[in-house]
Amino acid sequence: MAETHSDHEHIGIPGYLAVFAILIVGTWITYVVAFWDLDSVFPGANTLLALAIAFTKMTVVMLYFMHVRWSKELVWLSAVASFFWLLIMFAFTMQDYFTRVSGVFSS
Amino acid sequence: MQNADGFNPSLMREPKDSYLTNGYSLKSWLLTKDHKRIALMYLISISVFFFMGGLYAAAIRLELLTPGSDLLQTATYNKAFTQHGILMIFFFLIPSIPATLGNFLLPLMIGAKDLALPRINLLSLYLYWIGGILTLYALMQGGVDTGWTFYTPYSTTFSNSYVMAVGLGIFINGFSSILTGLNFIVTIHTMRAPGMTWFRLPLFVWAHYATSLVMILGTPVVAITILLLAIERVVKVGIFDPAIGGDPILFQHLFWFYSHPAVYIMILPGMGVISEVISSFSRKKIFGYEFIAFSSIAIAVFGFLVWGHHMFVSGQSIYAGLVFSFLTMVVAVPSAIKVFNWTATMYKGSISYDTPMLYAIGFLGLFLVGGLTGLFLGSVGLTVHLTDTYFVVAHFHYVMVGGQVIAYLAGIHFWWPKMTGKMYSEFWGKVSAMLVFVGFNLTFFPQFILGYQGMPRRYASYPAEFQVLNIFSTAGASVLGVGLLMPVVYLTHSIFAGKPAGDNPWMLPGLEWRTQSPPPTLNFDEQPVVTWEAYEFGEESGLDLEEARRAAGRPSVV
Amino acid sequence: MSTHADAHDHHHEPGLQHQFENMKQQEESVSIGMWMFLVQEIMFFGGLFTAYMVFRWRYPMAFAEGSNHLDAFWGGLNTVVLIVSSLTMALAVYYAQKGIRNMQVIMIVLTMFFGTVFLGVKAIEYTDKYNNGLIPVAGWNKKSTGAEVAEKAQAFAFPWEVKTEAAAAKDGEKKTYVNPRGDFQWNYGHELVKQAETAGYLTADEKIHYYSNGQIDPFKFQEKVRMFYFIYFVMTGLHALHMVVGLLLMAWLLWKAWIGTFTALYYSPVEMSGLYWHFVDIVWIFLFPLLYLLGRHFIH
Repeated sequence: MAETHSDHEHIGIPGYLAVFAILIVGTWITYVVAFWDLDSVFPGANTLLALAIAFTKMTVVMLYFMHVRWSKELVWLSAVASFFWLLIMFAFTMQDYFTRVSGVFSS
Repeated sequence: MQNADGFNPSLMREPKDSYLTNGYSLKSWLLTKDHKRIALMYLISISVFFFMGGLYAAAIRLELLTPGSDLLQTATYNKAFTQHGILMIFFFLIPSIPATLGNFLLPLMIGAKDLALPRINLLSLYLYWIGGILTLYALMQGGVDTGWTFYTPYSTTFSNSYVMAVGLGIFINGFSSILTGLNFIVTIHTMRAPGMTWFRLPLFVWAHYATSLVMILGTPVVAITILLLAIERVVKVGIFDPAIGGDPILFQHLFWFYSHPAVYIMILPGMGVISEVISSFSRKKIFGYEFIAFSSIAIAVFGFLVWGHHMFVSGQSIYAGLVFSFLTMVVAVPSAIKVFNWTATMYKGSISYDTPMLYAIGFLGLFLVGGLTGLFLGSVGLTVHLTDTYFVVAHFHYVMVGGQVIAYLAGIHFWWPKMTGKMYSEFWGKVSAMLVFVGFNLTFFPQFILGYQGMPRRYASYPAEFQVLNIFSTAGASVLGVGLLMPVVYLTHSIFAGKPAGDNPWMLPGLEWRTQSPPPTLNFDEQPVVTWEAYEFGEESGLDLEEARRAAGRPSVV
Repeated sequence: MSTHADAHDHHHEPGLQHQFENMKQQEESVSIGMWMFLVQEIMFFGGLFTAYMVFRWRYPMAFAEGSNHLDAFWGGLNTVVLIVSSLTMALAVYYAQKGIRNMQVIMIVLTMFFGTVFLGVKAIEYTDKYNNGLIPVAGWNKKSTGAEVAEKAQAFAFPWEVKTEAAAAKDGEKKTYVNPRGDFQWNYGHELVKQAETAGYLTADEKIHYYSNGQIDPFKFQEKVRMFYFIYFVMTGLHALHMVVGLLLMAWLLWKAWIGTFTALYYSPVEMSGLYWHFVDIVWIFLFPLLYLLGRHFIH
């Protein structure tokens, strides 16, 4: 990817600082909203919001700090695929736990 | 096919500078970065583990000759089948084709000088050795009796054996497998020779690409599972052990998330070998190249969606059982596509029955039986009857031994002339192929019947009415054992006394056949440029097959 | 090997290995290799997150109670520290691409500094848990002396500051050891569960896990909180281990950068180490809300 790099400046120092600012603000929001009772809106809303912010932060880190935005399709693919496989693991494990009826191992 | 009369030594090039002659010191082997030398060291190592696993199998079969537990005590029997499983699965089947044939052939097939990351390749060999030594240490100390699956609470509350050492061995060995997979993916992406497009890759390479995906995506999960199990045993916090508040089903979920896809690590490379062999000895372009290539990838992907079919009766929810059962039927489709395409490749081909082809034809039949009985076991209703019986044992041996081991032998025979530059005895090769096929069926077919009649697996004793079929099985195992030992003898013999094989003994267009046998350290004298499609047997291949045929002293078959 | 390698004449590029044709191929290979390694790492941590998910789903209030006893301030501070280190790492790559050696070295040193700060804070937190008798390992909490240490813990006593039983006896001090077997202890109340019950969050299933005879069974509940601390220690411990590996990588990088290895044409080791460092940062981005911030809204 040498030539890609010499062609692109990426985002330069101001860009990196902007990403940094987003990450700090994201952390701050995560911290603050954890103390709001969002679970009264619907159960799990607090966790959902926290994860949404974490995902945003991760995306920013990957796109800009890890240069995924300027990388080849394969890098995009491996990033997306690994999360897809995580999703498989989470979803197919939890579908079992969510649908237990009763018995020794229920819930 | 080694026709002594037609053999013309003057046309043979005496291999002068090959990877084998590039240094003879121990250091030149142990510190090599050459993928071919690493592959040979893997070959020897996994053969040792295969032999040891085979000894345990022999002990098991001898014990089952009689209904009572007389040869082995029940506790010893538990250790015997556990160690048979651990050695065979983690130290033989998983590295078998990828680490030996894959390692040796991948760069040759795509026209590269080496794998992309040779030092990582050497590291993975060393990790394999360290993991293996730890496991052997544990076996010598007294072994494990948990079953190869390490289910809790066998591996926690009720275990009095060396679970930690074996666990650590498998953990380390897992990283060997991950690094091999990583290396293959990188190599296939970046090291292809000019003109070697994705759809000109041999299907062996596609199969290894799919295998590597599974290795990278699955193996870390079993690593963390074993790590958690180890921590649990040390600190006594229940995460998997029900006696202290853990969840054994969680262990099974995490374990099978890897270990079911690992089944495809154990069969996909074999399918790659079979694609090569069938096409080569039918002298015909493979039927449905794209379908076989993409079915490998499909197997790798769908293989991750079906792990719950190992847990139908373990307390998993009924809904989950239904989902996993349905998806199990789906994963059968790409495997079936492959079998259809291989059969179609042979149709109207000019088939020659050399040793690799005999093995490959054996594979077709045995894999078919193994795959179809897998559908029985994947049906959530029927499997309640069959779970933990010998039906399961027979099923996975048909896939693992009838599939992967036979494919491995086919591959070893097929590429042996390339690896060593020598030709083995075709006669003994054919005899061994027949013995393995007959012995295998005699060993494992009776087990289908035994299992269907209700004989449970993992017990040292059984009711007397099962004895006849068990005697058949043990008799078959001895035939199989002889069949498997024979290649060790005649292949070793061929290294010293075999006839020079020539660069292209089977007259094939693949890139690995266009360099000398054994290949030079950097594989090709000059950077190859690929201008032909895969499995091109006609003029388009740009290869003077007539000359190659004369050189190898083979009669013209086209 | 060398005889063949030397025969090829494209060895003028610095750092080009024998199996590659040119630098571009090598960099591409290394980059794909690193990404595949990260995929592997994601799945490795994924197994832990699955375990976390199953147990948190089963014992949500015990997890919230345990999480409330983690110090969200230190956790938040560590998040910021790690983000700063990610910024300096990104800048190290930036300066490596530009071929500016001095700024490279400064940025790597800063990254190492913040990485060390992170581990330092982690050590402070672990010590705090130790002093509070919250190590989920049987027998590891022997030095805990209950209320006295809980008081001292506010000032972050290190293990060696807390006298062992034997040492205390030598000093002739009389102390009551509330936890002679060193078990995990949960002496910090069950308010969250009770609040959750009044608010109607507590399901019948969950009650089975905490209750005996219609009221909270402290021992049963303690075991569930212990599970939270076990997962907390495994997850953060494994993360800290990755940080240590990252620091070693940085030390190697620092040496390489110091001797001026990296130029605008050859800097892929900096970039690859950067990928690893950012990955470890991302793991923490998820660990922070999932471990430190559960059920905070119940108490405020």
